[in-house]
Amino acid sequence: MSAINMSRRQFLKTTGILGGGLVIGFSMTGCSSSELPITLVQQGFVPNAFLQITPDNGIRFYCPRDEMGQGVTTGLSTLIGEELDVHPKDMEILFAGVHSDYNNPDFGVQGTGGSSSLKAHYLQLRQVGANTRGLLVAAAAQDLGVAASAISTRDGHIVVAGKQYPYGQFVQTAASLEAPTEAPLKSNAEFRYIGQAFARVDAAAKSTGTAEFGIDIDIPNMHHAVVRRSPVAGAKLKSVDKSVALNMPGVTDVIEISSGVAVVAEKYWQAKTAAAKLSPVWDEVALSKVNSSDVRADYNQAMQQDEGVVDTDEGDVKAGLAAADHIVEAEYWAPFLAHAPLEPMNAVVRIENGEADVWSGTQGIVAAQGLVSRFSGIPVEKVRAHNTYLGGAFGRRGTLTHVIEATEVAVASNKPIHLLWSREDDIQNGVYRPASLMKIKAGAKNDGSITAWQAKRVGGNITPKTLQNMMPALFPGLNDGTIDFMVGLSRDVFAGWMVDHASVEGLYEDYDTDNKTVNHVTVEHDIPLTFWRSVGHSYTSFAKEGITDELAEKAGMDPVAFRLKNTQGNPRLNNVIRVAQQHMLAMQPAEGRFLGFAAHNSFATDVAEIAEVSVIGKTIRVHKVTCIVDCGIAVNPDIVRAQMEGAVMFGLTAALYGNLELVQGAFKQSNFHDYPILKMSEAPLVEVVIIDSGTAPTGVGEPGLPPIAPAVASAVYQATGQRLRSLPLKIA
Amino acid sequence: MIEFILNGKTVSTDDDPSTPLLWVVRDTFKLKGSKFGCGAGLCGACTMHIDDEAMRTCILPISAVAGRQVTTIEGLGTLDDMHPLQTAWVDASVPQCGYCQSGQIMAAASLLKHNPNPTEADVDAAMSGNICRCGCYVRIKGTILSVAQQNLAYNAAQEQKA
Repeated sequence: MSAINMSRRQFLKTTGILGGGLVIGFSMTGCSSSELPITLVQQGFVPNAFLQITPDNGIRFYCPRDEMGQGVTTGLSTLIGEELDVHPKDMEILFAGVHSDYNNPDFGVQGTGGSSSLKAHYLQLRQVGANTRGLLVAAAAQDLGVAASAISTRDGHIVVAGKQYPYGQFVQTAASLEAPTEAPLKSNAEFRYIGQAFARVDAAAKSTGTAEFGIDIDIPNMHHAVVRRSPVAGAKLKSVDKSVALNMPGVTDVIEISSGVAVVAEKYWQAKTAAAKLSPVWDEVALSKVNSSDVRADYNQAMQQDEGVVDTDEGDVKAGLAAADHIVEAEYWAPFLAHAPLEPMNAVVRIENGEADVWSGTQGIVAAQGLVSRFSGIPVEKVRAHNTYLGGAFGRRGTLTHVIEATEVAVASNKPIHLLWSREDDIQNGVYRPASLMKIKAGAKNDGSITAWQAKRVGGNITPKTLQNMMPALFPGLNDGTIDFMVGLSRDVFAGWMVDHASVEGLYEDYDTDNKTVNHVTVEHDIPLTFWRSVGHSYTSFAKEGITDELAEKAGMDPVAFRLKNTQGNPRLNNVIRVAQQHMLAMQPAEGRFLGFAAHNSFATDVAEIAEVSVIGKTIRVHKVTCIVDCGIAVNPDIVRAQMEGAVMFGLTAALYGNLELVQGAFKQSNFHDYPILKMSEAPLVEVVIIDSGTAPTGVGEPGLPPIAPAVASAVYQATGQRLRSLPLKIA
Repeated sequence: MIEFILNGKTVSTDDDPSTPLLWVVRDTFKLKGSKFGCGAGLCGACTMHIDDEAMRTCILPISAVAGRQVTTIEGLGTLDDMHPLQTAWVDASVPQCGYCQSGQIMAAASLLKHNPNPTEADVDAAMSGNICRCGCYVRIKGTILSVAQQNLAYNAAQEQKA
């Protein structure tokens, strides 16, 4: 894949290319005057926001979603290529600039997340591919003087009577024709690329060090910035003696910005060294006095004393509990976590002649554009935002404080700025997966049917903080007061009237019972929170699957059979569990190894995992994980496998190690020595079984994660008799 | 002024001698394939070869490499002329986000150079200082072992010919 062009990007109107731009498919350009951020190459033909075809048959695909490793460049190019009849490997794939045509159809904004990309673009990009193919066929029919019905297409070529003509030959004529808007789509049986496990389109660049990440952007006269921030979130700079840094070699500026104090130097290491010399003094805020033990105590108190807000109330839980032969009740805990993508946060901002450029690998390039506009005062239409590969994201790259910082420094220093966070900044100054205290009381009859499910979660909410981050970005014209008002409103709403669904998703949905309640108590400690791979499911699955094991045991049933019994109303999950059961029954774990099982639906995908575990002393070792997944059509089965493998490893890091501890309002952990990531020597084998259900694709980036912690905990119980109800798992 | 050999070419820099090699290679010589992940020698994203030894260059001052051979991912292979590990990496679709992969490949290349026939435990031992946050470990390990087998088969065939 070619990286984003680093020179100033030309903005060309679609109308103006080869005598008339064409708008087809689901493109909304027709009712919008805004220009597509596409650079014309070699008289290229731009039939819509997603494609540019040149006379020499170069086919460029403008990928609307962000590549953070989930394989979206391969997946989306496969969708459009399937109907266009161009293999993804024969396309040049570029990251799209900012335009509403690139919005995520599921979100209505240009953002990537929620395991949504393949699901959201499945029909849209295929239709765009089919319409463009129809247009090229019509142009070829005219140019070659044959009936359209006599034309077929193959690998970027028009085929007539066995003779092949490259698409590029017809772009001039195509530009003068009206594109079809509802060209017929292929049936599943006609797919040539969808369903094939070919190599990722970005593998070569990523194996040769040539894939360009945000950190790699290097522009003329670029200076490097390093920021010192308060270790306690929200505490402002009180005072700093700048002279100690200003006198250091290479340093050009020391600037107070909204998040702290920035040191600018000619080179990164000079900025880093000089910033380390500063001794900034920070304000005290309420959080400055809070320790982990206080958070836990506040949550415990809320769990005991506060009813909270009702999220779900179905049937009659009291009656359901009264009708139960067996009742279990337990509390489960999950800590704050950092995402720790391997590429630390960074952004490059250049402000020149009343215009701006921003380069950053983000999960929402439109937000980067908005933030640069807001913090530089340059109108949005004069801010060019360039996306790059993302060196991991997992939800972290939706919050773009680093773009704000780089903009503030670029404005104040009057220099193009490359701003880079350290790993310590990443772990201590980030946005976090919320800690959660969950309690579930559930009842079952002797026959194993669940009669009641009463769940409650205590913790902070993701949505208000996300709004606080996203609103200034998406609405750069909105003043601070309005944003504060609306964020405050959302905070109050979620604290008092309704539940932020991301806080409780996954806590109660999967199993059959007529009687369910879910209550939520909001307890915040001003710790910035955000999405973390699989969001609420990352902790709710642990409680939900844990209590399910406990209830099965009390009812005297095999835990897998118990789940089968209670998923009659959920046939796809039931089938996944059934297939997993067959695999599990065939397993013969070696002496000292034990099997644990868990299943969970998230992002419309059903996953069951079987963990083969041994416990020696206090060490939990996961040897193998078998993962059964139904995500509808696997557009690229190898990438589905890779996402399941990766989600298992990501989830194991959280299950075995992940823990951030608060000391006087600051997170104690700082780097990989005390916030460890699973290593190769600790990584299990992962076998992935994909169920071919033939339905439209659902998410794969996240759903592999939720079952792993409860599956391991279940195996640990088999091995030791200890029910571990706290993450990370620790043998007592 | 410190002089060393970068991917076969003699280079010199007046960067401060305490500057870690990673930053000199990235900011002064503009080779961006080696990555910054932790700044503490804990993740391996910055791995280069110093005279054939895989080293963590985010904590290695350039004063320590004066006169020595430094090989980065750019020196190992290119898009048009890949090292066998790189070819195998592509064939197996090893990378996800890809950020750690330069370091993984440099660590793997050093391992195979010193130990052409590694056991699984050897691979674990050599590679466990390289973190992959996306969790591509199964593929990384499998690919290293398969390249080692290919190399051995190739060498055996060459010997038979000779």
